[in-house]
Amino acid sequence: MREDDSGPASDASSPPRRVSRRSFLAASATGAITGLAGCSSLNLTSDETGDSSGSENATVADRPDAVYYPTHVDGMLLSGVRKANGYACALTYTMPHAFWLVTGERATRAGPTADDEIHVMPVVWDAETGQRLTDLNPVLRFRDGGRVLTSDAPWPMLAQQMGFHFGDNVALPGGGTYDVTLRVGAPAARHTGALATPDSATFDFSLAYSPKELDAISYRTLDQAGERGAVEPMDMTAVPSAALPKPDALPGRLLGTGTAGDAAVVATVLDDATRFGGDDSDVYLAVSPRTPYNRYPLPMAGLDARVGGTTHDLRETIDGELGHHYGAAIGGDVEDAPVTVSVDVPPQVSRHEGYETAFLDTPRVTLGE
Amino acid sequence: MSDGPSRGIDRRAFMKSALAIGGASALSACLDRTSDEDVPRGTTETDPSSLPERQHAWNDALARDDAGNPEPVQHRLLLLLDYDGDGAPSDADRRTVADALDALERAYAWRHDGLLSTMAYSPAYFDRFETDLPESVDLPAPTALASFEDPALDTPDAILHLASDHAHVLLAVEQALTGETDALNGVSVDATLTDVFSVAQRRTGFKGDGHPADNQDARGVPTSKPVPDDAPLYMGFKSGYTETQASEDRVTIESGPFAGGTTQHASHMRLNLEQWYEQDDREARVGKMFCPYHAEHDVVEGAGDNLGTDAAMSKAKPAAEAAETDGFVGHSQKMFGLREDGRPLILRRDFDSTDGGHAGLHFVCYQRAISEFVATREAMNGDDLAGDSPLGRRDNNGILQYIDVANRGNYLVPPRSLRALPTPRGDA
Repeated sequence: MREDDSGPASDASSPPRRVSRRSFLAASATGAITGLAGCSSLNLTSDETGDSSGSENATVADRPDAVYYPTHVDGMLLSGVRKANGYACALTYTMPHAFWLVTGERATRAGPTADDEIHVMPVVWDAETGQRLTDLNPVLRFRDGGRVLTSDAPWPMLAQQMGFHFGDNVALPGGGTYDVTLRVGAPAARHTGALATPDSATFDFSLAYSPKELDAISYRTLDQAGERGAVEPMDMTAVPSAALPKPDALPGRLLGTGTAGDAAVVATVLDDATRFGGDDSDVYLAVSPRTPYNRYPLPMAGLDARVGGTTHDLRETIDGELGHHYGAAIGGDVEDAPVTVSVDVPPQVSRHEGYETAFLDTPRVTLGE
Repeated sequence: MSDGPSRGIDRRAFMKSALAIGGASALSACLDRTSDEDVPRGTTETDPSSLPERQHAWNDALARDDAGNPEPVQHRLLLLLDYDGDGAPSDADRRTVADALDALERAYAWRHDGLLSTMAYSPAYFDRFETDLPESVDLPAPTALASFEDPALDTPDAILHLASDHAHVLLAVEQALTGETDALNGVSVDATLTDVFSVAQRRTGFKGDGHPADNQDARGVPTSKPVPDDAPLYMGFKSGYTETQASEDRVTIESGPFAGGTTQHASHMRLNLEQWYEQDDREARVGKMFCPYHAEHDVVEGAGDNLGTDAAMSKAKPAAEAAETDGFVGHSQKMFGLREDGRPLILRRDFDSTDGGHAGLHFVCYQRAISEFVATREAMNGDDLAGDSPLGRRDNNGILQYIDVANRGNYLVPPRSLRALPTPRGDA
């Protein structure tokens, strides 16, 4: 048994217990794994500090069913960047936030509670290609000394400035320094090309924050709040870009670009499908739905494509060159046939303000006509 | 003390915290506050055959709900025990363990309002012997059971699971096992379990309507105290429907020296009830616990007492179809495909806990072979679903999102006649 995970209560009035040699050795063997000390937080944004009292949870009264400018944008802080097993991970955080969870075709608002201290926003990417990984569902354990205070599995989430990340509000006892272990398991999507595919990876951080530091995080209200559009991506020097390639920068033969609901949909055909599980005579159809304006991926959707009378399930894939997309190896070619892409299940990714009313329907779009 | 309506709840909450704290002073405080110290005594002296040979044969000794489902025993204590000796245990120690456990059953009736128990042994314990367990026993060492989990792997020699509707019974039993008292419910106790074992860890908990709501002062539970008053478990729904449990026959080892025994898995997991209650809404909770159909059609009333003996799972579409068309799947729905003759492979005897100061679940279950638990957990993981649908590894994938597995352990529950320091061949 490991001391740090022993969990169950120990109290002066409980029966005396001796530590056996075996459990002592087990504790010693794993006790050396502790967080890396000496983190310094970096403010990643240059906005002026404003009064954010309570208004970080405001929403626009009359929201379009489309991507729109949120009421405000916040700054964020970086606890550190770690690498393990071919992945890299940045642990960023800010003040607690409202966000929306998506279950099927419903988006429900999750407001912060009085217990929440911070909004954690880990970002995980493939260390070699820089592709942000949307499919890992990390678990964070917060420790104070050796004891696990709490666990949290942040949601896969989309925000206008930050793009794809994992995010959640976390209840902690208060400002201080916490050892945070972040673990990811096997990816849910297919990883292809140069992308790493470890079965798991663990990153150790030391997260130090104070209420004063959180209060000083920049906050800017937006005059365009509620209008269609999106805030520009922030420049995060420590973290690779969240944007997908522009259509003409995608490899392969571009079939076309269309819109499905509020999403931009780009399709390209690669002559070589072998790295996607196809055989020599197959081509590979890659469909890349993305947010308008900022070209962020829309993960965890159910898509199929109808080509020449046959319907193909599109498999969620992250590739070193194509980035996040949905694809299928197809026999023959798609040269003369239009491709009709149907969204069967909307992207189940959680959303920050400005994305929660978009991408909730199940449209279709025909490309290459 | 007032006799007003809050008195019962105060007392109930007190009993649970007393059990979590443990010790003589907790017992004494507990008895000061209780009016139900008159617990039925055991019948083993007059009728030694009154106890079932299967230690896990609890169902005939449990209360029943209106639909006929067994009611959970309300208070629980798990003692993780390390054998103090080196190598294989001695016959003298074996007699001590037998006597210490026999005393419990002389003192208390084998009933939910008396005392129920199982004594079980780990793979690490059987490593003390030169011979291996027979092939009729499937008992691998514990491992992590999903790529995203990182549990501590428990390796005590033995685990004693004690259950009673009275918290003070468990506290008194613990006093007797540790030599702090030589009388239990008016019966003399002549052997002390801790002369042979050290208590490596004690884990405590509770289950049943109202208990979780009374115990929301723990990390992992929002201060809004959102757990419904009538919920038997923290997550708000009941679990032990007759048809969502394996029968005791189904989990019993059928052949070899441990015929009549079973295997036990015991894990401890932390629960994130802020996400469950404050971020998800009831429709999402019903959908993720049962299936999208139950959420869409408002099938579940309250904690699910209206769902008969089968949680109405015949309404659920296959998990793979739900993943493709609904975008999320329910926990029960994922397990449905694994049923054999209409029922699961494992018998849950799980309970909630505030161990470590955090809301949690001790998932204690019994099955004929550990591989059947592993298969059950693999169905719960839904890896095949996550790889080929909008589901994440945890997100929208049943209740995986809300659980962090902290510990796992595997054990063999011998038949009662072999429960004291058995050899791998059952010949001592």
